Amino acid sequence: MNIEVTVNGQRRRFDVEPNTLLLNLLRDGLYLKGAKYGCGIGECGACTVHMDGEAVLSCMILAVEADGRRVDTIEGLADGDELDPIQEAFIEEGAIQCGFCTPGFIMTARALLNENPDPSEVEIREYLKGNMCRCTGYVNIVRAVQAAARKLRK
Amino acid sequence: MEINRFNSHIIPIRFDYHAPKSLEEAVRLLEEYGEEAQILAGGTDLIPKIKQRILEPKHVINLKVIPELACIKETSDGFKIGALTKLRTIELSPLINEKLPVLGEAARVIGSVQIRNRGTIGGNLCNASPCADMATALMVLDAIARVDSVEGTREVPIGKFFDGRGQTIVVPNEVLHELTVPHLPEGTGSAFVKVGWTTFDIATVNVAVTLKLDDEKVADCRIALGACSPAPFRVRRSEEALKGKKLTDEALEEAAQIVSEHIEPRERWRRAPPEYRRKTSKGLALEALTEAAGGARRLTK
Amino acid sequence: MFASDFSLPTMLHARVLKSPYPHARVKSIDVLGAEELGATVVTFKEIPQVRYCPRLVSVPSATYKDWLVLTGKPKYVGEPIAAVAAETEELAQRALESIEVEYERLEAAFDAEDSMGMKDLIHEEIELEDEVLKVEKNIGCTLEITEGDVEEGFREADVIIERTYRTNRRYHNQLETKTAVVRPEPDGGVTIWSTTQTIHNSRLLIHDIFGIPVGKIRVVKVALGGSFGSSIHVNPPVPIAVALALKSRRPVRLSYTREEDHHDHCSYQMVFKLRLGAKEDGTLTAGHLDAVLDIGAHQIQAYPLLGCVVGWWVSLYKLPAKSYVGKAVYTNKVPSCAFRGYGNPQITWAVETLMDELAEKLGIDSLDFRLKNYIGEGDLFWGQGPTVKSIIQSCGVEEILQRGAEMIDWYNRPKPEEQTGRYRRGIGMGRGYHTSSAGAPVPSSIVDFGGASLKLNEDGTLDYVTALMDHGCGTLEAHAKIIAEELFVPLEKVNIISADTSTTIYDVCTHASRGVYSGGGAALKVAKQVEEKIREYAARMLDAYPHALKIYCDEERGQGVVTAEGIEDRSVTYEEIATTARHKNWGMIASVDSYRQPSCPPHFTGYFVEVEVDTWTGKVRLERVIAGADIGTVINPDLAAGQIHGGLAMGWSMTTLEDTPYDPLDGDLKNRGFINNYKIPSTQDLLDLNDLTVFFADTYEPTGPFGAKGIGEGALNPVAGSVANAIQNALGIRFYELPITPIKILKALEQKGG
Repeated sequence: MNIEVTVNGQRRRFDVEPNTLLLNLLRDGLYLKGAKYGCGIGECGACTVHMDGEAVLSCMILAVEADGRRVDTIEGLADGDELDPIQEAFIEEGAIQCGFCTPGFIMTARALLNENPDPSEVEIREYLKGNMCRCTGYVNIVRAVQAAARKLRK
Repeated sequence: MEINRFNSHIIPIRFDYHAPKSLEEAVRLLEEYGEEAQILAGGTDLIPKIKQRILEPKHVINLKVIPELACIKETSDGFKIGALTKLRTIELSPLINEKLPVLGEAARVIGSVQIRNRGTIGGNLCNASPCADMATALMVLDAIARVDSVEGTREVPIGKFFDGRGQTIVVPNEVLHELTVPHLPEGTGSAFVKVGWTTFDIATVNVAVTLKLDDEKVADCRIALGACSPAPFRVRRSEEALKGKKLTDEALEEAAQIVSEHIEPRERWRRAPPEYRRKTSKGLALEALTEAAGGARRLTK
Repeated sequence: MFASDFSLPTMLHARVLKSPYPHARVKSIDVLGAEELGATVVTFKEIPQVRYCPRLVSVPSATYKDWLVLTGKPKYVGEPIAAVAAETEELAQRALESIEVEYERLEAAFDAEDSMGMKDLIHEEIELEDEVLKVEKNIGCTLEITEGDVEEGFREADVIIERTYRTNRRYHNQLETKTAVVRPEPDGGVTIWSTTQTIHNSRLLIHDIFGIPVGKIRVVKVALGGSFGSSIHVNPPVPIAVALALKSRRPVRLSYTREEDHHDHCSYQMVFKLRLGAKEDGTLTAGHLDAVLDIGAHQIQAYPLLGCVVGWWVSLYKLPAKSYVGKAVYTNKVPSCAFRGYGNPQITWAVETLMDELAEKLGIDSLDFRLKNYIGEGDLFWGQGPTVKSIIQSCGVEEILQRGAEMIDWYNRPKPEEQTGRYRRGIGMGRGYHTSSAGAPVPSSIVDFGGASLKLNEDGTLDYVTALMDHGCGTLEAHAKIIAEELFVPLEKVNIISADTSTTIYDVCTHASRGVYSGGGAALKVAKQVEEKIREYAARMLDAYPHALKIYCDEERGQGVVTAEGIEDRSVTYEEIATTARHKNWGMIASVDSYRQPSCPPHFTGYFVEVEVDTWTGKVRLERVIAGADIGTVINPDLAAGQIHGGLAMGWSMTTLEDTPYDPLDGDLKNRGFINNYKIPSTQDLLDLNDLTVFFADTYEPTGPFGAKGIGEGALNPVAGSVANAIQNALGIRFYELPITPIKILKALEQKGG
């Protein structure tokens, strides 16, 4: 089936089978390896991307459902060499250990800060609860989101 | 054997994909493909089930392109909520949070933001899980489901929506169209309580309550229990025990005790044994009743 | 870039045929359907019949071998029997499903006791070095140790308590599933990108199995998406992908689905019978430990673990007399492997719980009881087992316990009998340690050394290459800091270079919390060697004595500078030295060397935990945690704290949530591998930032690089004990089985009548 998806601001055309997952289209079709396969069933959040500005799990979305829509991945956040303030904050706050969950967390955090530029710790924890991390215990991740919020408010 | 058929990397089967643009088109497709079709709403239940080979549809019908299926409307008798309304929309809707707060609270504790950005109220119901949080909430709202097919439309009260054997009454050529929820009487307090093993989990037990006071007496009370029987249900005995009674700790405790005596778990359920659900349902019922009562008091001041 | 992100042109996608039965013999296998679909197929009949152990950390005499790449006699549900590779994953999946296998089912056991009584042996023969051993009663290996007169010790005791403890069987749930991408090379070799904690051991194992010359196997270091011990051994996707790549002559990618990964490895499940005796003044006199390890269907490192379990046990508190009987028993379940702490979390939970109970019976405060008996500075320590003994040279246990106690108001903690109502609060503590590497002054049964190379570039920057993996804990950054500190260069002038087995010398593995302690030790060694050469060349240029020169860092120029102090115009930058050396053909300043730490000093941790138990639902919430750690010099405070944060979450989860129960009817995991039924905590389950305090004790480890020790595993080990003790303080109920779930809590409360 022919579909057209705007990925990170660029309009792309694909010919896909209906059973192709959005995650695999991004990773294998476009080599955008930021979104990860962690569990395939929506339990870990590692595949989080934005579709029409909303944080969604690409492992449970068919590529054909993205026809005519806008998809944004972690690769689209940075502006050339300039990192998104959330990416910077994650690095500065030590929120990255093995790094595998990081793209998913940053995309979810980006969606949070787009909706709510001044979230409390409780709100941050509630918003991020669909993203799993086995390394950090989430402490520095929460700190990074708070730091990013401060940066963005400036 | 199943272990070699699971593959959560990909969708391991092929199917024909349809994205009807109208409800008429959708029911025509369902009439034609019926048994071999599955409806794709948010996909958060359907796609994992396909990966686990629990469902292997030959046709997948995406209903998200039909505009009238996702909406929240207030009318003179109540509310109409389209089956394809996203859980996140319900969670954030000022209308729902003001007038049907128990529904918003139930939506809020389902999954995560990412899941609620896709998952729908119709999907939550039609997945027919005994733990479906929206179902428990809709039970105390006396919701009515409207189900369409090529033959026309029919209305089914939510209490009859589940067949008690792990399925809904929606047959293969039908689709859930919308839910109608009557207005709650003024001054009704409500609460939704859920416990899972973590905060990102399905319910091990969930309870929904609405409660209206007249002076300090219980004028109306609705109590629904989920995840403790094949489908969520209203615990009428408990409601009857409270109706007309003065609102005291003892009365609430008695009502909660009755709730705990009505669980019907299955042997093969693995999450928690009946004993656990019995005790926890009592605690959660008491918590929900207390919260709803508090809400009712505040609203009638 | 992670192994699972890696792709190559013309790469095939592989899928593994897994046994659907817990114990069976393959009677026939028909792969024609798969081949007709165009897939390359490899079955157990075509792989090298070489029995191996996938973990090469111990010496051969301690390495029991019972694995084959693919098997015709599967011993657990999920064990690989055959594998296919095809152009797409979907095609590979269809090829997989078309394979027809006939099985003869055998008896299966899902518990160590049942297994020891089972007629059908899981392994009839296993190998140790060149010997073939006959297995009896499904016991893989045993270890018995006695020191001192234990009977006399118990006679001297005024109070003796014996308890049986059962741990859970946890799954690492590392975010990246096990993966291998293998490219066959024209020279008959292979290049491998995989999820591994040791590129060199991966290379050696592939050589052992396939006979490819070592130099023709290149294992490339890539980022690793979490591991926690699950890739100390070479994971099955590696040799399976090698076999497929060699047969198809195409690059092959084999990446496990989560459900396959869940069937691939798990922690060691243990049953302890622990007896401790103490005099009424609170001095421990004797201890006996009976440990039965349920290791699943294969040995990965069960024998060394038997040694570590007793080592961890006897190195917690002074036991004048102790005896130990350990056995590792095969069962028809997923094979167990090291999981952060390698037995230490399990035994520390049991000991810390028993110490609390013993203190209560003695009428002594449990904190004071610990302070009286702990093994610390100057004491003999054998955490890594009986062959690795050393004397502790740095210890911050007192500081940790006393400061923590003060911060949480330990002596005013709740009394369980005084609490009523729905919510009950409790405060508990636990202490522990872990070794920093497995170093020792003499060879032991554990191979532990590493190597590094360092060169001074023409512009005064340095290139640092090591095979040691960084799991994201800041290990290599710590090495860079060590080098920068030693050589007086700004940190950003130390380049950490990508590595593979061809361009690095041997490093055993990133495990045993040895990354900074051992790896940093190697970095320091080569840095010192480079420094000597810098001095020598500088001396030539400055007409001075090498040992008299001073080195400092010129921040403005961003260079190391060598100078004859006090004498004008007698200084030269690293850049000038390197450039001169090149123009004058003196040679490049560089060093490659191996290094072994002569000890494995314990890093110590202590957790003070406050919990709230909801007696209506059995759910336990973390309210407040004070965590103290003695890791010697803290090279990277933020990253070290990060280890505590992660260890706390993991320990909390270990105590209250995780387990992989089996369905006795079909022998499979009850959750079939799907992690919606294997929960780990979410952001909303753990405590607020303000409620967690982490502090570091002020100590210095003389054998560590700049006084540093490790932290990775110590961060986890005492958490279970502290949480369990806190629950006991809240409810007055002690649990002897992990996990302590809401179901068990409500049941116990009912039995207690509370």
